[in-house]
Amino acid sequence: MKPPTILGRPERRVDAWGKVTGKAKFAEDYNVAHQLFGVVLRSRFPHARIVKIDGDRARALPGVEAVLTARDIPGEKTFGIVIKNQAILADDRVRYLGDGVALVAARSRAIAEEALGLIDVEYEVLPHVMDPESAMQPDAPRVHPDGNVFVHHRVRKGNIEKGFAAADLIIEKKFRTQFVEHSAIEPEAVLAEPGEQGGVKITGSIQNLFSSRRSVAAALGIDLNRVQLIQATLGGSFGGKDEVMTAMCCRAALLCLSTGNPVKMVNTREESMLESYKRHPYVMAYKWGAKNDGTICAMEIRCVADGGAYASMSPFVTWRSVVQATGPYACENVSTDVYAVYTNNTYTGAMRGFGSPQVNFAIESMMDELAEKIGSNPLDIRLKNGFQRGAVTATGQKLDHVVSLTDVLCRAADAIGFKEKWLQYRTGQTGAIRRGVGLACSYRGVSLGAEGTDAAEAIVCVQTDGSVILSSGVTDMGQGAQTQMSQIVAEVLGVPMERIQFLNTNTSRVADSGPTVASRGTIMGGSAAKKAAEIVRATMLDVAGEMTGISPGKLLLGENALLDARDHRPLASFSEVAAECFRRGRPMHGFGWHKSPKTSWDEKNGQGDAYFTFVYGANAAEVDVDTETGKVDVIDFVSVHDVGKAINRAAVRGQMHGGVAMGLGYGLLEEFEFEECIPRQLNFDEYLLPTSLDVPNVRTIIVENEDPAGPFGAKSVGEPTNEIAAPAIVNAIANATGRRTYDLPASLERVLLGHALRRTGDRGSVQKEMEDAMLTRTCKIESPRR
Amino acid sequence: MKPFSYFVSDSIAETLTRLGESGSRAQIIAGGTDLLIGLRRREENGPESIIDISRLSQLRGIRLDGAMMHIGPLATHREIMESDQVRTHVPLLAAAAGSIGSPQVRNRGTIGGNIMNAAACADTVPPLIALGAVVALSSAEGERTCPLSEFFVRPYVTIARPGELLTRISFPVLPAMSHSAFIKLGRRNALAIARLSVAAILTFDRSGVTLDARIVPGAVFPSWKRVKEAEEVLVGKTPAHGLFVEAGRKVSGAMIAVTGRRWSTEYKEPVIAALVQRALARCVATEPVIASDRFSRETPDRPDCAEPDTSQPAS
Repeated sequence: MKPPTILGRPERRVDAWGKVTGKAKFAEDYNVAHQLFGVVLRSRFPHARIVKIDGDRARALPGVEAVLTARDIPGEKTFGIVIKNQAILADDRVRYLGDGVALVAARSRAIAEEALGLIDVEYEVLPHVMDPESAMQPDAPRVHPDGNVFVHHRVRKGNIEKGFAAADLIIEKKFRTQFVEHSAIEPEAVLAEPGEQGGVKITGSIQNLFSSRRSVAAALGIDLNRVQLIQATLGGSFGGKDEVMTAMCCRAALLCLSTGNPVKMVNTREESMLESYKRHPYVMAYKWGAKNDGTICAMEIRCVADGGAYASMSPFVTWRSVVQATGPYACENVSTDVYAVYTNNTYTGAMRGFGSPQVNFAIESMMDELAEKIGSNPLDIRLKNGFQRGAVTATGQKLDHVVSLTDVLCRAADAIGFKEKWLQYRTGQTGAIRRGVGLACSYRGVSLGAEGTDAAEAIVCVQTDGSVILSSGVTDMGQGAQTQMSQIVAEVLGVPMERIQFLNTNTSRVADSGPTVASRGTIMGGSAAKKAAEIVRATMLDVAGEMTGISPGKLLLGENALLDARDHRPLASFSEVAAECFRRGRPMHGFGWHKSPKTSWDEKNGQGDAYFTFVYGANAAEVDVDTETGKVDVIDFVSVHDVGKAINRAAVRGQMHGGVAMGLGYGLLEEFEFEECIPRQLNFDEYLLPTSLDVPNVRTIIVENEDPAGPFGAKSVGEPTNEIAAPAIVNAIANATGRRTYDLPASLERVLLGHALRRTGDRGSVQKEMEDAMLTRTCKIESPRR
Repeated sequence: MKPFSYFVSDSIAETLTRLGESGSRAQIIAGGTDLLIGLRRREENGPESIIDISRLSQLRGIRLDGAMMHIGPLATHREIMESDQVRTHVPLLAAAAGSIGSPQVRNRGTIGGNIMNAAACADTVPPLIALGAVVALSSAEGERTCPLSEFFVRPYVTIARPGELLTRISFPVLPAMSHSAFIKLGRRNALAIARLSVAAILTFDRSGVTLDARIVPGAVFPSWKRVKEAEEVLVGKTPAHGLFVEAGRKVSGAMIAVTGRRWSTEYKEPVIAALVQRALARCVATEPVIASDRFSRETPDRPDCAEPDTSQPAS
């Protein structure tokens, strides 16, 4: 018999109190004496050669302490996780408008910004390339010397020709998705301070401290132990505080060591939107062959991702796409090619979903088209083709865990009344407003998979009074990792959550645990925290056995006390056991290290056990479509996810609500637009996120099938919740109107006309004169700092 | 942001003196919901001085004087949307003010600012023009008045001279047996600028025949105007679905006559027609503006609309 468990309980977030009372310290809140302010001079052209940079006039401005260019970088001038080609500062060439050209540190932000205007840069403008398909042409301008196509992943399974030959029908469609901004509420910020024994200490809004640290050390040419990165409380990331923060850390460190003073850097929203990477736009050609009974016998898929100016995470993002490009559907013959291509647009990288929202939009649209073609319906066609336990994926991986696809699909469909409504809405609707329901589902590989090493550390240290300090190499960015890990430790040690203090990650105090990405926080960080707590528990029970004379096997920690396992009689308080451990000189810390199970990958044919386990989810949307204006209102939404085990049900539901809101923005509103590689909007007045009036009440259903790979059976939830909302909504629009949108977002124009409006120069003669005046005016207020 | 000097005005006279001295180098701040965004974006050409008029209580308030309503330019969108007088006598203006931005923006933003900023998508302007509003401009030299329909030159440009301050907005309240509607189409349900909008007023005689029709589309023309050719379709007739469709077509036709066929016409042409039709249908579906005893006991002749509009988005 076990004492009551804390697992799954909607415990209050451990960081909530500090945040709602304003005590939380975000990176911009850190200030120290003698700090300087650092700013970046950014490129003026999307593609140009830098002929000359002259900073003398800027240096002469009183209050300016340093003006640096790429030449002042003592170590490596570029960084990158896979391909090291991202410039800390542009050396001889700028490749997009967000590129940094020079740095200024001055006694105030105002002086620093004034100095930017005094730096003379001579450019030789080069032709730019603005879309990935033209960038693939042999005569396209080259963004990097080795050519523009820098990633080509493939999956080959069965025989694609035979597959199509056996098909009764073929569906071929082209889909396009858009650039999307992460839109974390907190823009990038750091404070870099000179280390007492050399080196540098950086406190900042950093998502992946260990990879940023590697780049700072390499840029400065010093050892990792001289570079200390500390995570400030983060105001959201969604995958967006990786490379852009690495660049900022490197720049602040350079200014700091060059001046000997602390240097603060904070991006304005406009700077953040201009410089930071986005979610990849994809162009996707899907060709499926199927039998009349709905069996899919061939899938030929070609995706081209716009990588923008730098490689960033593109190789990994597109790898997840190639693994998951067929969706959770059985098919014997698959041929998938995914490319990533350089352009002079803003570079693209990690964003919640990481290569899945794009392909899921295509897959789930195709599935509805297939249902339509064979006279079935969206639910039945998915149930027919969907994975069951033991199924073999496109990459040849046998799914040897609880495959809950059918369960999540049926629960989503039932909750919204899918089958009846879908039939009813297809016919006989009159009036301007038409209603529709849509369904989408997915399977998703958990954690990094065969991307690379996957391990994490956590340290649990029980204090002499029985309170607990927990630190981890997995970071909290607002997603709730510290609450999950605290709850796991509380479960193992039998103490209330209030007794646990989580420390923000410090690279000098915990081992490199890889990045906090890929929805791996709970499964990796949580597993490490569990192991660490179990080590401490073993010590404490051992001491407790000596204290009580009862064998440790008959003792339990629970309810903040030492319990007799037989009758749950409290024998001593947790604090007393902790104090006794100290008196006896026993160690009360535990180092937990968790390495993920094995994965494998053969890049040639794209075969292997890509991920050690998968999660399954289904979304159902109900919409009202105004067929006279193209306006879509989502009126109901059901989100169902198998998370393995919910460590904290409130946190899981929070992820589901946020994921749907973000997915709704992706489906209907958000689009970071470029015109000739120049961003068209740099703040939230023009980049449209959904508001509270646009997001319906989301009904959440948590499904639990405990997986041996995770702590207490927990898997992932962060990204799955964000990857199928858009297709569910688009499928609902198609149900309402009988017409499908193949491009995202499903804006007013796309829903009404089937395509977006393309701005052209032609204007009516009467208006021309008036508009010219207007345009001059808007241009003035439009130009960002560049 | 370029440095500027900042004056907080205590009186209209002082404001006018300062405005007179600085001319176009000065800008006025009331709610600041447009100006601050502009200041943040503008690197050069920002104002040298900013005159804060937010404490001039004489410029606040909503007052009904007989059949005339006077609105102080400092009345906030929230005050307008919540005013019983506005809601009773000119409900389309309350609807327009309520459609602006978010609660925060409506708490700060003023009707005077909405007019003076003169963006093509200003939400309160179509109803005001439909109501025949007149604005008063004061300067050190004195006061002049101007119909709002003649006030705008083109987007962001008005006839107000440097040194002039908007001090009053006046219009006759809607006569009995008038029905009005304001419809706005935005890309999202809050914090949305109008993609297109329509203000419509229909006034009927006792037999239900349209005596007067006013239709002012928003974000359609370079500056606002009533679309007479659409209004003429309705006057002298009993309202009917077919007439509303025809009026909608006239509005999109008038738009194309001014702007020509542009890249956005493919979308705007059918949609503005639909919105006009919808606004007119909503007019006949609403209670007349004055719900005093005299009228509320009488059931107004509800003209039959071939297709009752059951599908209006919440505004």
